Amino acid sequence: MSYSKLKICLMLLPLSILMAVFFIGLINGVMESFGVFPAAGLTKLTFSYYQEVFQDSGLTASLLLSLYISLTASVFAVAAGVLVSTAATVGGLARSKFFQIVKLPVIVPHTVCALLMLNLFSQSGLLARIAFQIGLIQNQEEFLSIMFDKNSFGIILAYLWKEIPFVILVVVTVMANINGSLGEAAQNLGASKWKVFINVTLPLCLPSIATSFIIIFAYSFGAYELPFLLGATQPKALPVQAYVEYIYPDLAHRPYAMVLNSIMIVFTVFISYFYYRLESRLKRTGGKNEPA
Amino acid sequence: MNRLKADKSAFVPTKTGKKRHRLSRALICLSYFLVLFPLLILFVWSFTGRWSWPHLLPETFSARALGELFGGYSGAVQVLLSSILLSTAVALIAIAVSVPAARAIVLTAFWGKDFLKFIVLLPVIVPATAFAMGVHMLFIRVGLSDTVVGVILIHIILCLPYTVRIMSEVTAATGDRLEAQARVLGASPKKTLISITFPLAMPGIISAFCMAFIVSFSQYFVTLLIGGGTVTTYAMFMFPYIQSGDRTIAAAYSLLFVLSTLLVFIVLERRIKKYYNIEDVFFFS
Repeated sequence: MSYSKLKICLMLLPLSILMAVFFIGLINGVMESFGVFPAAGLTKLTFSYYQEVFQDSGLTASLLLSLYISLTASVFAVAAGVLVSTAATVGGLARSKFFQIVKLPVIVPHTVCALLMLNLFSQSGLLARIAFQIGLIQNQEEFLSIMFDKNSFGIILAYLWKEIPFVILVVVTVMANINGSLGEAAQNLGASKWKVFINVTLPLCLPSIATSFIIIFAYSFGAYELPFLLGATQPKALPVQAYVEYIYPDLAHRPYAMVLNSIMIVFTVFISYFYYRLESRLKRTGGKNEPA
Repeated sequence: MNRLKADKSAFVPTKTGKKRHRLSRALICLSYFLVLFPLLILFVWSFTGRWSWPHLLPETFSARALGELFGGYSGAVQVLLSSILLSTAVALIAIAVSVPAARAIVLTAFWGKDFLKFIVLLPVIVPATAFAMGVHMLFIRVGLSDTVVGVILIHIILCLPYTVRIMSEVTAATGDRLEAQARVLGASPKKTLISITFPLAMPGIISAFCMAFIVSFSQYFVTLLIGGGTVTTYAMFMFPYIQSGDRTIAAAYSLLFVLSTLLVFIVLERRIKKYYNIEDVFFFS
């Protein structure tokens, strides 16, 4: 069917308006970080907020913490998610009704995830109780402090519980489809099951795997809830620190929050652009018919 | 089922093959356990009266949380219902925006298409916290902050990467050849839309709805900032309880959140699958 130019414009109009709101929001935030903030009587473009924030060692600590949390969470989530998807595909379970249980955490919000982890891993949690009952520890305080600790294990565990299923959700259907259609063909040509999986199925799944990785990485880098609920008091993750600066009573303090936000914006946009280029390349080399 | 049989017959029972097969079964069972066990504990906590250290099982059970949720004095049920309504509206509008956009992206060529495809991904990549703080001042200026419309608008934007992507994939898979055929055979545009386009897009619409609903329903920070406390969603409503020390009440609120989302999905999928006679597995049922 042919579409007139006008029709194409109309089809894209609502989306474009919403995306425009999104970008105006981002640009507004970035402008505020440069000191252009009329509501607080600031109008002059300046780099001084950036200078101040970069001189503060707190920024580096927050940045490194956020990076550490998001990298660890996304790498382990993707590895485990792909592993489970593989097991489900090989075992022929990907489409079974029962397997859908694994996707349950996708609908559980991060706040509830925090509660689940507290129930299990805090010093009064079930694991500590079990350790006490079998005589490993004598009192609550002896149990490893997994939650609220500087190593952020609590946050990472909560992300893993929630995001491994997300990886499975994104990857398993694609994997099962490819392994079913192309895999059978390759097997008929004499390739062994695992060779088919490693050489045919897995490379074709790479775009989906990369997508899930980038979404989890970006999300856990910029999300507020889990570091707020389960993080140590110092250093704070970047988004938490940004909100602390944001709700500072003096409006003229807000550009500091916006500097932190702008760092997050630039970083994530850069990463996702890199990913987008990579994905188009993967799709081109991985064959034309990208599965739905 | 056919695939399962084919797999089994193609399976060569070598020693390592058997071991791997058992290994994959064990892994799947382990993941069932890891998913369900924390939720089971949540369930137990919801009905716990007293469960002090170091007991492995609750000492007493109570229906205190049920009273808190459904007793009428906390207002939890009203917030839950209005929240479901809000997220449904968000998901439907996001889909309404995404369906034509996805068709344009997949089926037509226009200037700046690659750029558009890239920027549509951004709301899921750029931290929602940074976006919300940036757009906040703007919304205050145009009078959208502290309003339901403002919250809905922001939620829609955060859903778009998912809905546009899902609808694009579905459109790419079905194409528009069947519609063209219907038109050639004399069907009106309206008739084509109702009897060809919609049924073909329905599996994608359900997935997109589910994804958008979750994104909106579990949004906390953005709603807090843009809603400014005057717009209360269930995710916000339960947040202080999770922060507080009362595990029983916190668990009950969480459980209700999960169960109501599940219920919305199952009802939706059942209805639509029945109506359109679809058999694929979308999300859960």
